[in-house]
Parts: sequence; structure tokens; C-alpha cells
Amino acid sequence: MTDIKLLIIDDEVEFAATLCQRLQLRGIDATDMHSGGEGLAVLEEVAPEIVILDLKMPDMSGLDVLAEIKKYDPTIEVIMLTGHGSAGSGIEAMEKGAFDYIMKPVDLQELLEKINSAAEQRSKA
Amino acid sequence: MNAMTENTIRQEQIESLCRMMAGFSHDMKNHLGIIRESNGLMGDIVEMGGLGEDEQAMERFKKSIAAIERRVVLSANMFHHLSRLAHRSDTPYSSFQLNDLIGEECAFLERFSKLKQIELVLELGDGLHPIYSDPSLLQHVLYRLYTQCLEQMESGSSLVIITGQEGKNMIITFRLLATAQLDITKLAGETLLSAIEKLNGILEPGESTSEYTDIRLRISSLSLEQ
Repeated sequence: MTDIKLLIIDDEVEFAATLCQRLQLRGIDATDMHSGGEGLAVLEEVAPEIVILDLKMPDMSGLDVLAEIKKYDPTIEVIMLTGHGSAGSGIEAMEKGAFDYIMKPVDLQELLEKINSAAEQRSKA
Repeated sequence: MNAMTENTIRQEQIESLCRMMAGFSHDMKNHLGIIRESNGLMGDIVEMGGLGEDEQAMERFKKSIAAIERRVVLSANMFHHLSRLAHRSDTPYSSFQLNDLIGEECAFLERFSKLKQIELVLELGDGLHPIYSDPSLLQHVLYRLYTQCLEQMESGSSLVIITGQEGKNMIITFRLLATAQLDITKLAGETLLSAIEKLNGILEPGESTSEYTDIRLRISSLSLEQ
């Protein structure tokens, strides 16, 4: 799973930064940004293959950011982070182009599996 | 007040509580998410060879401990407010401090302000008498007014909640900064106005300047404890 370029976009700074460090320790080239606008602004510089994206953020909704990412590069795979108790919002995001979703608090093993699947999907693109 | 209006008020009251609980659960998931990741990071460091002489690993370890401590404190505070908020409906009418009720409710409202990028400011008056009223219904009325104020406001502005007392009346002012004058009857809606009436209250326009618009909620205590 090494060498994957991954971008985390979540307004919870401590969460994003810590998750980023844990992924880096596993050899993933991870970067964290803390708003939808910031995340979109670094797309060109970071050139992520996979984006982990929070669904609810103050400046832009995760669904709006997802649409912008897909407009920029449809091959970027997006895994949505949702705090909702039901899967409804995650499924809605998948209908709008997200690769998958994961609920908070995140199970790292589950997330790593989803990252792996997303990387495989991306390599087929 | 007819039974149908009473039922509608009750339904809206339940809706308000549910929305606040949904916001609360989101906040708690965020706190727990950070606790889990921080704990996980400490586990990673230990598993990947421990701290040894690695200063960077030691720094990460210390940061994780601090993050866990901070989030546990925040979570405990949220649960404290939740407990106070939930117990407000234990008795339909009781004597309480308005500022306490507003303080605990705002712990749940901040999330909605943050999402809309509106600053929530409390200016709670000193030395207010206790009020004898229906605290649970007042929580609902305050929640509804607050969310409706947010809907009228632009991102980047501030909503100030000011409390005060005029004779036997408690005054709660919603000051909407950088917001044009509002028609408060349209803002409130019929059911909310009925709920305010049930509280012996009146919703009235307050001061309006080029910088802000005030909406005043005047609540009469059934009997004030002196």
C-alpha cells in the first residue's frame, strides 16, 4: 500500500492530523487539509490518487467538494467520512461518485482495506 | 389554546430535542474519533519500536496524550450539559436561572453556528432573578428562534444572545449582526408564537440599526422568587 498519494479533508484538525500521521507510519504519502476550500486548493500540488473527505464541513459540504474533485479529475477515488448514524448519507455520496464511505469513529483496519480497494480501482482507470 | 395547537407545539418540541441530540451525537463522534486516533497513534509508536531516543516519536506521544485528555474533558462537559438539559423536563413548571438554561442549551447550539460559520456570543446579564416557568418549553422556543435567526444570517456574521430583566419580565435579545430588519411574525410562525404565548411571553422587534437587528423575547415569570 506504499506510495499511494492520499489527501484527507476534514475540519476536525486534530482528527485529520492524527489520522494522517497513522497513515504515514504505514507508508502512505498522506497530507491533511482542514476545509473544503483548502483541500480543493491543493489538488494540483498534492495530486492525490485517493481523497478521504468529511461529509459535513463549515465552508462547503462534502458533497460539493466531491463534485469539484470529480470535475477536476474523475479518476481520483473519494472515500467519504460520515458522522451520521445511518448509512443514508454515505450511500447518497456513492450515488454522486464517491468510491465508498466510512463512519466515524473510524476503524483504521477497515479504512486501510477501503484505501487498498480504491487504489486498485484507480489503477484500472 | 386548543388541543390541536397543544399537540403541534408538543411535536415541534420533540423535533427540537431530536435535532439537538443529533448535533450532540455528531460532536461526540468527533471527540471519540480523535480519542481513538490518538490512542491508535500511541499504539503504533509502541508497536513500531517504542519511544527509545526518538524525539519525534516522543513528541507525537505527548501530543496524543494531551489530545485524549482534552477530548475527554470536552466530552464530560457535553454530557454534563446533556444531563442538565434532559432533566429540565422532569417537572413541567419550576424555578430556574435563565442564564443557566441558556448556557447549557448553547453548548448544543454552537455546532450549528460553526457549520454556518456564524459566531455565537453570549452576553448574560448579572443578578437576574430566578424565573418560574416551563423550562423545557422555553428551551424549545429558544432553539427555534436561534435556528430561524441563523437561517436569516450570512456566513461570517455574529449572533449575540443577551439576557436582562425589566421588572418582572425576563428579556432575551437575539442580536443579528450585519442583518437587515426582519419581520419577526414571519420568522416565528404560528405554532412558535403559540408556544411563546403559553410561556406568558411576547416576541417583539427590538432596536434596529445599520449594524444589527434585535429580536426580543419577553417572558413573564408566573411568580418571581425574590
